[in-house]
Amino acid sequence: MNSHEMAASNPSPGTLAGWVESRVRLVVEQASYAYSASGASAPNFTLGPVTFSARQREIVGILGPNASGKSTLLSVIAGEVKALSGRVELDGKPPADLPLRDRAQRIAIVHQESNLLFPLRVWEYVLQGRYPYGRRLRFENEADCLMAENALAQVGAAHLTDRRMDELSGGERQRVVLARALAQQPQLLLLDEPTRYLDIGGKVELMRRLRRLSEENRYTAVVVTHELNLAAEFFDAVVLLQGGKCVAAGKPEDVYRRDLLEEVFKTQLEVEKTATGRPRVILRGQEQQNDATQGDSADQKKESGGADKDLQ
Amino acid sequence: MRPLTPKRIAWICAGLAAILFVIVVFSLEVGASPISVTDVVKTLLRGTAAMFTGNWGSIPPSNKLIVFGLRLPRIALAVLVGAALSVSGASFQALLRNPLADPYVLGVSSGAALGAIFSLAWFPHFAWTMQILAFVGALLTIAAVYFLGRRGGQLDSTTLLLAGIVAASFLSAIIMFLMTTLSGRDLRGMAFWLMGDLATPPALRLRFLFIILLIAIGAIYTTASDLNLILTGEREAHHLGVNVARVKLVVYVGASLLTGLAVSVSGAIGYVGLLIPHVVRMFFGSDYRLLIPASALGGAIAVTLADTLARTIVAPTELPVGAMTAAIGAPVFIYLLRRRLT
Amino acid sequence: MRRAKASILFGTTALLCAASCSGFAPAKRAQEQPKPPARKVIDEVGRSVNVPAQVKRIVTLAPNLAEIVYALDAQDRLVGVSEYTDHPAAAKEKLSIGMPVNPSLEAIVGAKPDLVLATTSINFARTVDALAHLGIPVYTTDPHTIEGTLRSITDIGDAIGSSQQAGALVANLQARLDVLKTKLKSETPVRVLFVVWEQPLQSIGDNTFIADALHWAGADSAIHTKQNWPTISLEEVIKLNPDYLVYAENQMGEDGNDSSAAADLHAAIARHLDQLRGEPVWRDLPAVREGRVAVVDDEIQVPAPGLIDSIEQLARELHPAVFSQQSGPHISSVPRVWKSTPSEAAACAR
Repeated sequence: MNSHEMAASNPSPGTLAGWVESRVRLVVEQASYAYSASGASAPNFTLGPVTFSARQREIVGILGPNASGKSTLLSVIAGEVKALSGRVELDGKPPADLPLRDRAQRIAIVHQESNLLFPLRVWEYVLQGRYPYGRRLRFENEADCLMAENALAQVGAAHLTDRRMDELSGGERQRVVLARALAQQPQLLLLDEPTRYLDIGGKVELMRRLRRLSEENRYTAVVVTHELNLAAEFFDAVVLLQGGKCVAAGKPEDVYRRDLLEEVFKTQLEVEKTATGRPRVILRGQEQQNDATQGDSADQKKESGGADKDLQ
Repeated sequence: MRPLTPKRIAWICAGLAAILFVIVVFSLEVGASPISVTDVVKTLLRGTAAMFTGNWGSIPPSNKLIVFGLRLPRIALAVLVGAALSVSGASFQALLRNPLADPYVLGVSSGAALGAIFSLAWFPHFAWTMQILAFVGALLTIAAVYFLGRRGGQLDSTTLLLAGIVAASFLSAIIMFLMTTLSGRDLRGMAFWLMGDLATPPALRLRFLFIILLIAIGAIYTTASDLNLILTGEREAHHLGVNVARVKLVVYVGASLLTGLAVSVSGAIGYVGLLIPHVVRMFFGSDYRLLIPASALGGAIAVTLADTLARTIVAPTELPVGAMTAAIGAPVFIYLLRRRLT
Repeated sequence: MRRAKASILFGTTALLCAASCSGFAPAKRAQEQPKPPARKVIDEVGRSVNVPAQVKRIVTLAPNLAEIVYALDAQDRLVGVSEYTDHPAAAKEKLSIGMPVNPSLEAIVGAKPDLVLATTSINFARTVDALAHLGIPVYTTDPHTIEGTLRSITDIGDAIGSSQQAGALVANLQARLDVLKTKLKSETPVRVLFVVWEQPLQSIGDNTFIADALHWAGADSAIHTKQNWPTISLEEVIKLNPDYLVYAENQMGEDGNDSSAAADLHAAIARHLDQLRGEPVWRDLPAVREGRVAVVDDEIQVPAPGLIDSIEQLARELHPAVFSQQSGPHISSVPRVWKSTPSEAAACAR
């Protein structure tokens, strides 16, 4: 189900409930940021201005080649750094201005999990997601345990509860990290290349889960990813960056234009429409001259989704 | 799912405290003039009562002198030093994200040793100046390493570790230079200090030292939940709402003060700060809300036991307690290493 | 929840505080018995010591102090000595209270001394402080020179109530020193290198005891430095070209007990000389080539009466011409007063 179909089953925009449902949650308007190696010198890198917005239950993808500023944009949205111009607002408040704990109650970031020094159980890890609620030195209560259990159940990792973190596989660990973010009960979920270490099945499963979670829990999600086709399939909107500039933002079918994508990713490709109306990117490249193998290579490219290294 | 509760912490600490009490009674009993266990307990009880009533007459004078004048102060010092070193070691292991961190890795003990050498060279007749100058040396080193260990305005684990190692080796070089150029007598005094020695009564009254100890441990304890999160990653902790910069500062200052305190009164006793936290983790897990008090008690047990062994094994010669902790600590360390590898 | 957290903190705090209770216990009140009459004496480091009028039990924290006590004929009152006190041999029977650098406070307290003797050359101020804190009087000597040693003997004699014996002993020792001075007045001092250790090569500085002893023996250290135990290179030794190499007896491999016969000692010296002659640089030294190596009793490093013997012995080695009238190494023109046990007397007649 995508957001268009969801909207169809929701209260109409005219009613109050409909207004609440369709109210924009995340606003990014002409946001820009720049950083330089040292305080005095000219900026190494400038991001923006970027403009897009997202409602509840919507997933926005941030796409672009390497070093195009995707992670920087995510940091700006997360409130880690303050936009130098323009505005970024989550429910009317700029994340960068929020106190840390309030920010953590609203925004959850799903990282690549880093190396744990000391053995930790899955439930301990997920319980840490409850930190923003309560005092600094706190002991988790029953409500916290319930939330953690829920979170694990929602990502389908309830059976991993008592396992040790270092015993998990990559995919299992990804789910547990997601569960911790869910335990924060956020409004906004931010994910930075969540499918990097997953196999094809894992990637699709993650996207499906993300879709389902954001609908059930009314999250807004922003996902930085390289997966062009998965983004096209599962996301409501995409923002395309190149060298820090926002070259397009909108629905996938509007953004995925062949000339634009070829320009941004510097490689030959084609854009098709699938049965559901979503676009799909197919790589060309060296195979272009070889008509005989076109069919084979097209199949190969379809299977690998968008994760081919030529795009990187 | 069994989250940590205050009750569980209380039970475990009570158990460790009971073990500590037994070790203390045992230590009070042994020595050049052994006193039986019942006499020890009686003396302790009467002494505690006498603290409030002021009536010291009911205790036989020789017992009183030996128990209260000699053994108890020394044991109390051992408890203090053991607790300080263990909490400091556990804290540095989190702050520097390194399981091999110990209380001395950031150079505090080298700074204190330098202060001690100055004292031996220029104030040889006053024993208390050694502790004061050692503490001053420790404080100066803490400040210097802090400023060296910053990156982007806040403490950075890697930079801090490097700054500490550099400070430690630089200070050690100065110490070696001084030890060579100063007269031979000072060498002997330093050797004992470097090995760790609990025989010297502290310059400040013990009660003040304990107050400082409790304040420092308390301050670190307020960041216990934060440390649990920081151990899964600093960025992650930040995104969960932890004020990482402030936590690192509090832990750095608190743990360094604990090290400075311990080292000023007893020299550099090794292996305790490194190993006790790992042993506690082995039994009770890595949650800092439990690790901190349990390490404090575990360290107190270890150092008291080591000191008692050091002063009784080849009586009347007293071995330096650092030699004892090394002799016991090294095999334990090897065992822990092997366990991690299997 | 709050109550539970408070109870943990309280529990741990209480237990740690209990251990600190000793800070509240006034250890000074240990001395509740009526104090015997005492007099205030200033010791050699300037501390004020309450010495009891009757000193019946003495503990020494360094070997030289025990030696002095024996020399003052007060050994019956000596109830505790430091480890490795074996001059004279009878001292080995006494109760040991641990090493001089970190004695067992308990053992000292257990010996119930009226006065403890310490010296700055081996003991640490913190030991003295700890004992004073427990109400035990400690008299610290601070000998830096030979004359200082004589002064220490007088001071100790006064402190333990053996002033008469001290006076006699000191007079005797002073007389022997005067004899030496007279005999050596017209002699030029021999330039010696006093070897404390060979690897690395360490000698002595101007402020040491041994340097002073060398002066009295008609010698002069070739090295002049403020450092007490300077390490020197072999090159420097060649440049200095000392007339004599002097070793302390323990360097020869003997452990310095009285029963080593003179013949053994000479054999040891000869062995060492051969060894030196086989080594590069050393063998080129004129002193080695011509066998000008002297060995002196270990006592030369110890601020005690036996020191004078060592000085006389060394003087005899270095200035044989002046002493040639004497026969046998231990006959001097003034009879020695230091009593020893019969077995030691036999051993002394080398």
